Amino acid sequence: MGELAVDKHVQYILSVEKRKDSFESVVMDHLRMNGAYWGLTTLDLLGKLDTVDADEVISWIMKCQHESGGFSGNIGHDPHILYTVSAVQVLALFNKLDVLDIDKVATYITGLQNEDGSFSGDIWGEVDTRFSYIAICCLSILRCLDRINVEKAVNYILSCKNLDGGFGCTPGGESHAGQIFCCVGALAITGSLHHVDKDLLGWWLCERQVKSGGLNGRPEKLPDVCYSWWVLTSLIMIDRVHWIDKEKLVKFILNCQDVENGGISDRPDDAVDVFHTYFGVAGLSLLEYPGLKAIDPAYALPVDVINRIFFSR
Amino acid sequence: MYRSSFFSFVFFFDFRGKQTKRQNSELEIEKMNENSLDEEGAMDLLNQLEAILESDPLIDEVGFIHPSQFVMLSKECCESSDSSEDGAFRPRDTKFWNRDHKLGISTEVLLPLCKAAKSAFMDVMKQYKTHSSLSDNKHEDENIMFGSLSCLSFESEVMKHSRALLLLSCDFGTAWNSRKLVVSKKQQMSMFMDELLLSALVLSYSPKSEQAWSHRRWIIKMIAGKYSTLQDIIANESELVEKIAERSKMNYRAWNHRCWLVSYMTRGQMLHEIKKSRDWAGLHVADNSCFHYRRRLMLGILENSFCKQEGDNSSYDVENYQVVKEELDLNEVLIKRYIGREALWLHRRYLSLCLIRHLTTMHGTCCHSEQKTSMDNEINKFLDNESCLLNSCSTIQDMEFEDFKAQAMYSAIYFLWLIKQIPQFREIELQVKLKAGNLKSILHKTCPERSFLWDFLDLNGF
Ligand SMILES: [Zn+2]
Repeated sequence: MGELAVDKHVQYILSVEKRKDSFESVVMDHLRMNGAYWGLTTLDLLGKLDTVDADEVISWIMKCQHESGGFSGNIGHDPHILYTVSAVQVLALFNKLDVLDIDKVATYITGLQNEDGSFSGDIWGEVDTRFSYIAICCLSILRCLDRINVEKAVNYILSCKNLDGGFGCTPGGESHAGQIFCCVGALAITGSLHHVDKDLLGWWLCERQVKSGGLNGRPEKLPDVCYSWWVLTSLIMIDRVHWIDKEKLVKFILNCQDVENGGISDRPDDAVDVFHTYFGVAGLSLLEYPGLKAIDPAYALPVDVINRIFFSR
Repeated sequence: MYRSSFFSFVFFFDFRGKQTKRQNSELEIEKMNENSLDEEGAMDLLNQLEAILESDPLIDEVGFIHPSQFVMLSKECCESSDSSEDGAFRPRDTKFWNRDHKLGISTEVLLPLCKAAKSAFMDVMKQYKTHSSLSDNKHEDENIMFGSLSCLSFESEVMKHSRALLLLSCDFGTAWNSRKLVVSKKQQMSMFMDELLLSALVLSYSPKSEQAWSHRRWIIKMIAGKYSTLQDIIANESELVEKIAERSKMNYRAWNHRCWLVSYMTRGQMLHEIKKSRDWAGLHVADNSCFHYRRRLMLGILENSFCKQEGDNSSYDVENYQVVKEELDLNEVLIKRYIGREALWLHRRYLSLCLIRHLTTMHGTCCHSEQKTSMDNEINKFLDNESCLLNSCSTIQDMEFEDFKAQAMYSAIYFLWLIKQIPQFREIELQVKLKAGNLKSILHKTCPERSFLWDFLDLNGF
């Protein structure tokens, strides 16, 4: 198993950008903005963000912004809230939020709130609690959460709570660790966690840990590195993280590394990708693995970045 | 009915699923071959693909096939087919295969094809958008003369290229959006139905495509309220999910779609769906999503009766109770047949809570003491039943078998969970003498590592 192969992972992330001519990278092209967030946040957690040319990244990001204020996943694509949050997060990483017309971005997000408090992902109207989280997280980073109806947003999220204590995409949707992260994160940011039965939800979340030490996202599913993030953050936010075996989880994540070529996969021996590399490193950061920057479980950004936003000046 | 995927017998590259390291290196090799194709050759391939899609609008399944398998597939067809009309799109240089409304694409040409489709789509979108904004500013009569004619041809180009692109890159949101734009301008039922077909085609090779599922919901929202066929469409959607769930196990996106449909169902449809999905659930006891769907239907049925308070709601009460009771009985049968399945025990937590809530809220509304005693009896009967179940499941018949250990653990945790949510259960736990010892000792034996349970036991004086 060994230790975290920091240098290999840095090399891997830097190489992904250069490998533009594979089928995989062509079909992932439309979500390059998310990829930038995953890769760059990982580099920052590893203390290597300075290996990237910030100006180049920022000018590309700004080319993805639309008249509406929203961002697209790459130049020439349609805007969506999923890419807007990644753009804002990356700008926050580089301490460059001042290049944004904050009012314009906030107007875009505010415009996506529906009458019942829920949020659409874009003008085409798909509703999901993920979009509620993104809207709340994004506006909070931009320090204009008061632009939306927070009470209604919170009530909508609560309407997606199930009898098992978990949350789904829409009212009546199945509980899923990813959706739980979004809902608990949004409730944490808006100071509404008192609406959650912490023991009940914590119970369900802890039952996600399987024998190998890894976490799954739903009953009967295989463990997967990315759930280290969704489940762990939720447990931390509701103060129940002492209920799982952290040591075993660290081992599971380290076992999913490609120690030769860098990168982390969903399970041991699968092919690596940037997504799971980010969640693996972020999970280890939550588990206080030595040498990594601390990450904030609600905002999904390094703690020093969050402190800079909220406590500077 | 079980319907296996046509392409499941050939080696299938699932690009959006996880790949092993070996598959990845095979892809690297193909990549080198692909680079030999120039831009013109790629455009030619795209034209071929689009011609096939045009000529066979009923294609219902797409698969990506490795070159070695491709040769075999083509040979097999040449031997089995004697007519010449069959060969329409086969020869050339065998990059595509189309028969019986199935389409196979060689993995060899995926990269150049995808790039060509993307650039063709992006180009026509740019022109379409410029044209639309121009014609918005023009006078109406000019629009009729020039605008609308070329507008039509732009729109059909957008539809053509976006379709090819989505078959190769299913989560290309901008391509789905372009289709929504065109379709919402036309507002034709036949176009809406075509979109459902395209989405189903994409789902045939990428059953977890979030965009494809989301596109369906958008279409249904457009249709809802305008056409009388909505209830039929909802029934078809439900069937599609079941078909896809058969091949794509525990597919959250698919089942989430089915749960979403419930809000459009009538009470009768919900009852029918519960009946219809019963056998499927029994055959897929590890699929938590299917059980969640049944929970969603049950909650829909229970809620539905509260809305209609004014009328004769007592008949619903009996029917509702029956629905929950039957689901509990089915669940017990399955628990005893399939030893140690997590999803079954989690489902039971939900059902028990539902039943107790249902019985206690009925208490509140009825004033006849006769009915009250019968309800009390029902609750006591249920509590007795659960302690019997616990007793039989917590006895580990063979410590060697993981399944029995898991069964004992799940049954004990289930009971503990009930105690947490319904405090009356604590008294029963104290009264019942379990063969396997008390709850605490069962948990010690089966899952000493689950520290969240110990916190709970300590807090509750076990
Ligand atoms: Zn994953």
